[in-house]
Amino acid sequence: MSDGSSAGKLIEVEDITRVFHVGGEEVRALRGVSFGISRGEWVAIIGQSGSGKSTLMNVLGCLDTPSSGRYTLNGKDVSRMSDDELAVIRNEEIGFIFQTFQLLPRETALANVELPLVYRGLPARERRERAKAALEKVQLAHRMHHRPNELSGGQRQRVAIARALVAQPSMLLADEPTGNLDSATGEEIVRLFEELHRAGNTLVLVTHEPKLAARCPRAIRLSDGQVVADGPGREVALGIGAAVMAAGGT
Amino acid sequence: MRAFLDNLRLALGTFLGNPLRSLLTLLGIVIGVATVITMMGLIEGLRMKVNKDLGRMGAHTFQVTKWPAGGFGRINWAKFAKRQDIEMDDVRAIEESCPSVGVVVPVDDEGGQKVATASNETRPSVRVFGTPTNYPATSGLTVASGRYFNEVEALDGRQVVVLGTDVADALFPGMDPVNHEVRIKGRPFRVIGVLQRRGSMLGMFSMDNQVMMPLRVFQQLYGKNRSLDVDVMAREPELFQKAQDEVTTLLRRRRDVPANMPNDFEIHTNESVTASFNQLSVVITIAGIGVCLLSLVVGGIGILNIMLVSVMERTREIGVRKALGAKRRRILGQFATEAVLLALMGGAMGVGLGFGLVFLADWVLRFPMYVPPWAVALALVMSCGVGLLFGIYPAARAARLDPVEAMRAD
Repeated sequence: MSDGSSAGKLIEVEDITRVFHVGGEEVRALRGVSFGISRGEWVAIIGQSGSGKSTLMNVLGCLDTPSSGRYTLNGKDVSRMSDDELAVIRNEEIGFIFQTFQLLPRETALANVELPLVYRGLPARERRERAKAALEKVQLAHRMHHRPNELSGGQRQRVAIARALVAQPSMLLADEPTGNLDSATGEEIVRLFEELHRAGNTLVLVTHEPKLAARCPRAIRLSDGQVVADGPGREVALGIGAAVMAAGGT
Repeated sequence: MRAFLDNLRLALGTFLGNPLRSLLTLLGIVIGVATVITMMGLIEGLRMKVNKDLGRMGAHTFQVTKWPAGGFGRINWAKFAKRQDIEMDDVRAIEESCPSVGVVVPVDDEGGQKVATASNETRPSVRVFGTPTNYPATSGLTVASGRYFNEVEALDGRQVVVLGTDVADALFPGMDPVNHEVRIKGRPFRVIGVLQRRGSMLGMFSMDNQVMMPLRVFQQLYGKNRSLDVDVMAREPELFQKAQDEVTTLLRRRRDVPANMPNDFEIHTNESVTASFNQLSVVITIAGIGVCLLSLVVGGIGILNIMLVSVMERTREIGVRKALGAKRRRILGQFATEAVLLALMGGAMGVGLGFGLVFLADWVLRFPMYVPPWAVALALVMSCGVGLLFGIYPAARAARLDPVEAMRAD
């Protein structure tokens, strides 16, 4: 993991734009976004719907490539990579946690957690061992042979977190991870994130909830495809302090 | 290899997750493969039977006829009709002046005949044979009850017949026909025997729907202006070729064939019969493969359909897999494996069904069938090919899906 040197940030985003062409019209979802995230940071990306945060999340997750600008992840320029090259990066560098969990319904929790290791090409035995260990980390070892529909929402999200952790990626990328959970269960998941953060994982959390963003050490607010605030989570979430950029907004 | 095993497991899961749908999809392939297996079983069985029958007829027997054996291609029957008939005089000449010839058996037959008793009658489909007394010995026929006609009856032209089992069953259900009377073309005949059952050819043409009578009586009944088929047996196996040459020379002389002209009669040996049979079986085989290909295409369209549905249903799953690091080739492999496995299962079921039909035919029709191993291999390979051919397009579609879009699907 991190050697603590400041030689390079884990994530470096430089003047990224993303333009979609929808029915002959140009939609500029990202309009020159720049920031950096170091190893071990926990950063929330917050914004209203339509602010471009989903597009940014797709770019950060290597599910999409920027129209212009540069995105360096763990020292690799991923902004011009091909589909298959990105697949390898996603597999090795990123652990996804989705709002709707995105577990395979026909597979057991264990098989779901194994999946990233399947695509890394590990032998079945090692896959199983590591998947079990990951499920233990989220306290779900006793449910590993259950299918997603036999698990509660919170348990499903914990399976998804185990799946994100299992391949030891350099960052966890969570998209509204508590969005489909009741508040008590959501709280459980946030606690789990806090634990993961303390253990040294890099976390990027995309959300529209100021309350959730306020609990992150750092938050980046996006509006209209631009960064309008970047600073301590509480300040950005509440829109106070020096974090709010003078240049931001419309 | 590991990826392949994973794909195999996934494919199996899909199949077991939706067995009825999979089964219905596979019906085309199942039927196609079953057809080809049954067809091949039939042809091989037939071939073996023909070879066995020919073997019984004896390796040193050949047949002289006016008409060529029904081979393939166009036969100009009018041309052959002008040929001189082969008559009893020719038979006697062969017997007398061909030293290498042992036994000569002239046979004539007429199909489409009706046989009746006072109370019953057959359909007009009975084949009536006129033969000498030694016909059973030379043709492999066996009399099951009663006897074949003897020399006295043959020379006297007595109106006696030996019935095939189909005729006996039709006219004398549940009783022994021997010593009863039947009528053919209005004339009375005494039944003196019933032949052993011989079964049917291709399960359609019964070889028991026949009646045997002395050749002389046959000629009185149907006229003498007919050409005989003459089975000729060489005295010794070594004299086979010599006997053929003697008969050929004799007949050419008797029929005034100029030296520069080909024979105006046909000589069939086991080999020539086998050859024309092989020609027939090639045609049937090609037709069979054609039918098989056609139903495989139908089956392939089924696979194409089910795979497109499968890709659509699992768009989200594909998205997740891609997000977690599956490359295009991996997704392609997953769905292609699924299609091939599906097709292969159909092929295997088809082979099973085909064998079932073959055994059924064996048992019900008493027609020996034999499925050659290469037919099974061919059927399975073709199924795999169809799976791959029709599965690759849906698989490629799956592989190209955009993960973000795909995960949004429901």
